[in-house]
Amino acid sequence: MRNDRAILQISDLSKHFGGLKAVERVSFDLLEGEILGLLGPNGAGKTTCFNMISGIYKPTSGSILFHKKRTDGLSPHQMARMGIGRTFQIVRPFATMTVLENIIISLGLQNYQTIGRSSKKWFTPTTRQKAMEILEQVSLCGLAFKKAGILPLGDLRRLEIGRALALKPELLLLDESFSGLRHEKISEMEKLILSLVKKGISVLLIEHNMKVAMKLCHRVVVLDHGRKLAEGTPEDIASDTRVIEAYLGKGGSAYYATSSE
Amino acid sequence: MYLFIEQSLNGLAVGSIYALITLGLALVYGILGVLHVAHAGIYTVGAYIGYGVYACTGSLVMAILVGMVACSCLGVLIERFIYFPLLKFPPYVPLISSIALFMGMEEFCRLVAGPSVRTFSLELPFPELKFLDIVISPTLTGIFAISATIFLVLWFITTKTELGLAMRATSQDMDIASSVGIDGHRIIDIIFILGSAIAAVAGILVGIYYNEVYPAMGTVPAYKSLALIVVGGLGSVQGAVIAALLLGIAETLLIGYANIPLPRDALAFIAMIAVLLWRPQGLFGKGA
Repeated sequence: MRNDRAILQISDLSKHFGGLKAVERVSFDLLEGEILGLLGPNGAGKTTCFNMISGIYKPTSGSILFHKKRTDGLSPHQMARMGIGRTFQIVRPFATMTVLENIIISLGLQNYQTIGRSSKKWFTPTTRQKAMEILEQVSLCGLAFKKAGILPLGDLRRLEIGRALALKPELLLLDESFSGLRHEKISEMEKLILSLVKKGISVLLIEHNMKVAMKLCHRVVVLDHGRKLAEGTPEDIASDTRVIEAYLGKGGSAYYATSSE
Repeated sequence: MYLFIEQSLNGLAVGSIYALITLGLALVYGILGVLHVAHAGIYTVGAYIGYGVYACTGSLVMAILVGMVACSCLGVLIERFIYFPLLKFPPYVPLISSIALFMGMEEFCRLVAGPSVRTFSLELPFPELKFLDIVISPTLTGIFAISATIFLVLWFITTKTELGLAMRATSQDMDIASSVGIDGHRIIDIIFILGSAIAAVAGILVGIYYNEVYPAMGTVPAYKSLALIVVGGLGSVQGAVIAALLLGIAETLLIGYANIPLPRDALAFIAMIAVLLWRPQGLFGKGA
């Protein structure tokens, strides 16, 4: 039943905080080269899911397979080394460092593992070159030597993606990379994500903005109150009455059905 | 004039030792946000181990090495079993446990080595330097050479190497650092190893400089180094080092030239209060 092309397989994943069931028996697969959207109202458990996949939380039960290997319970730095890059809902750059340094920190990934390699110099022409290439991908070259703390939100979101890209990830987890962005910045971000997928990176994204998610994602998983409510193509999801109810409440479905016709 | 220069050099030596003690404290505060009072306990233990090993083997190099290794282990143990489990509580919880630990370590030294002052009389095996009429004693030369080497090595590690970059990243934001593949626990271990090893060296140098090792030798350095990381600007390692050097020189000169009937440490704290009134964010802290 499980798809052979799946890069990430989530099975019966649960996370309880005391009595609160933040995520309850959620399963889904993410295929190679796919953009999978994780949708749901506030408090649906999307970020908790992310935090389990990226190793911040240990799941209460269930399993996470990345490339068919169990990764639940590993720590965040191990996940980063396995090739999972992530961004955060609330952007967190290394504020007092320059944009370039922020990228170089990620480029050091392989060097942090042994004492011998971590005593190498971090600033060399090669790393600088590599970092500039990544900044070019996320169109931040002009800001390379600015302190990251002074950048506007849109640039910071791209910087976070750049920082994740420097890990050479196979899977990118994007936590609301579009929120708080102006319209034209949203379309830039869409272009960026599509270009990454073309390079063979799979993307799991949390999105609040239904319009963006529907346009960008190949498939969508909808969570509500910690449970999986629906899964399918954006078209299926848009017409799913349970999803509409979860977002707009009961009665909303009638409104949505008439207005979207 | 010669007296002034010699006084200043003595002050610089005292300041270098303060700086060595304060380094560990500044590094730990930078990464965990814990005021590591027990650091002065590690310094005392380091001095005693150095003294003991020297008394047994007669080798100063051995004394320093054993002291560094033992104190590194002690530092990592404190971090693993006391600070780390307490990090989820408000900052005064690790602080109080750190104070308790410091007192415990002092009492432990008293129990094991006895309450009396041990005289640690030897000269550091360094050459005596002479410029015109100024003579720098071997011990003073040794203190300058050793502390300068430590500062340089540490400066190189923190600013130039991948490890230093990872340390800076971890101290800014541990979660993000781990999301880019940095093992925060390991970085914290390394910081405790470095800081505690340096504290051991400081303890041994102080023992040799003042010719004595005693259980309460850490008390005044504990308060002073706390004040110094505040004066230097919390979280700024260079700031703490510079503040420590300035304090050493200032207190030695004040004792030597100003006829103030106050003990040395009182002057030191008055000087630090004055600096904080003038710059509450510390000498090198970011704007208030």
